[in-house]
Amino acid sequence: MILLDHRSDLMGIADIAQAVRRGRISALALVESRLARIERANPLLNCFTDIMADRARRDAQAVDAMVAAGQDPGPLAGIPFGVKDNYDVAGRITTAGSIINLDRRPAADDAVLLRRASAAGAVLIGTQNMDEFAYGFTTENAHYGATRNPLDPERSAGGSSGGSGASVAAGLCDFALGTDTNGSIRVPSSFCGIFGLKPTFGRLPRTGTFPFVHELDHLGPFARSVADLALVYDMIQGFDAGDLACMDRPVEPVTPHLSTGWNGRAARLAGWFDEMADDQACAAAMRVADALGATASVNLAGAHRARAAAFVTTAASGGNLHREALHRRAGDFDPATRDRLLAGLLLPADVLLQAQRFRAVFREQVAELFREHDLLIAPATPCAAPLLGQPTIEVAGEALPTRPNIGLLTQPLSFVGLPIVTVPIAGEPMPIGVQLIARPWREDLALRAAAYLEHLGVARAASVEPC
Amino acid sequence: MTASRPTLEDVERLARMAGLSIDPAHLPGVQRNLGVLLDQAALVLQPPIDPIVEPAALFHP
Repeated sequence: MILLDHRSDLMGIADIAQAVRRGRISALALVESRLARIERANPLLNCFTDIMADRARRDAQAVDAMVAAGQDPGPLAGIPFGVKDNYDVAGRITTAGSIINLDRRPAADDAVLLRRASAAGAVLIGTQNMDEFAYGFTTENAHYGATRNPLDPERSAGGSSGGSGASVAAGLCDFALGTDTNGSIRVPSSFCGIFGLKPTFGRLPRTGTFPFVHELDHLGPFARSVADLALVYDMIQGFDAGDLACMDRPVEPVTPHLSTGWNGRAARLAGWFDEMADDQACAAAMRVADALGATASVNLAGAHRARAAAFVTTAASGGNLHREALHRRAGDFDPATRDRLLAGLLLPADVLLQAQRFRAVFREQVAELFREHDLLIAPATPCAAPLLGQPTIEVAGEALPTRPNIGLLTQPLSFVGLPIVTVPIAGEPMPIGVQLIARPWREDLALRAAAYLEHLGVARAASVEPC
Repeated sequence: MTASRPTLEDVERLARMAGLSIDPAHLPGVQRNLGVLLDQAALVLQPPIDPIVEPAALFHP
């Protein structure tokens, strides 16, 4: 058996897994290579909160044993991956980036998506850093430190799934599973120059993850190519009754359709999505629009109100989840999280009900656009990755506080649960992401468009020297 | 309380009414964040929505 005689980081997940399934690469050697990188890079990048070397080696040996016995470990055979620290891992306390949760019992089982990835042969290598309780866009965590961007360690990796995005960008694992309530997969994808998928609300079950905002929480993968992203997505699809919001829909594999090219009707979102983006972000969206033949620019008039509704819903719903802890142990929260959650608890019910009613109105506005278009295009973030600790970003000629405003362009869209792929567009000094937005349940359209952009060379994961 | 600029006293009073005790050291941060939230709330509340529209509490796209 060849252990690992070539740069497996240059291969896609499907090819690596195929090599493992054929016994040409050892899953254990693959895991050891990623653990070695983590050992070198994690002290600087701070992607992982828990490196699970024992479990990873044990699981990798089990994969190798299956191959030796002539059994097929699955399409993700031996692929090392990580999960955001709000996914349950059996026997471990799910911190969700907090110290408050250290009082909770260890998880009895792995989260459903983690179980599905493992059942397909993937090997969990660790849990990944995040903003406390997923409430943030920068992964500057008062308890577990800041995650640094592998493309420039002085810059933010984005958040709240910052450890997941940065570890995939740095090649510390081959894919990662994160969560996205207001942009927490799309923002790290944008800042770290990788691909991310936030599927339709209700597509992937959240069973076994620690909630932030029940009404808005989504799960999804990060990867360095569209094929990788689609393959992982295909392996983790499916209904689970443990999540009340999960819809009982058939598994709809996307991988077989990725190479069919793009012939859909695309349009660029203007208005709010132009006004709240800097020149680089607008140019990236324009480049994608040109490549996809999008001749129209359309306005989503309620976007600013949708963003506001997502903003107040998040504070109030998040505050409600943590009311007891905020009452008893406010000093144990990250101050940035605590003050926002406490403020959320003071909002009048009227505001929350209006936000929920506006959600229904906005859904119809969006549905109207999709009557004439198959795909909408918008920047993922107002700007490329800011410096860690940078207090403001420049948006629409104004200096706005960084932390609450990085999600200006993601929040209105997740508010109505649309499936979105973020694709990385090269730029100087940093790349930036563009959102490919499809109508509900049509992840396939967004992924096909992403594959076409990657094929054209318009979208490409940023290159990071392997550590 | 004004629509967007609550005072520290407003925050204390609201917290008392909500049955919350807030450490005095945390009040300025909560006050600042409540101001931001109320700015956003104003956007949510105007213009009015047709009363026939139902809330989408458990949301299905």
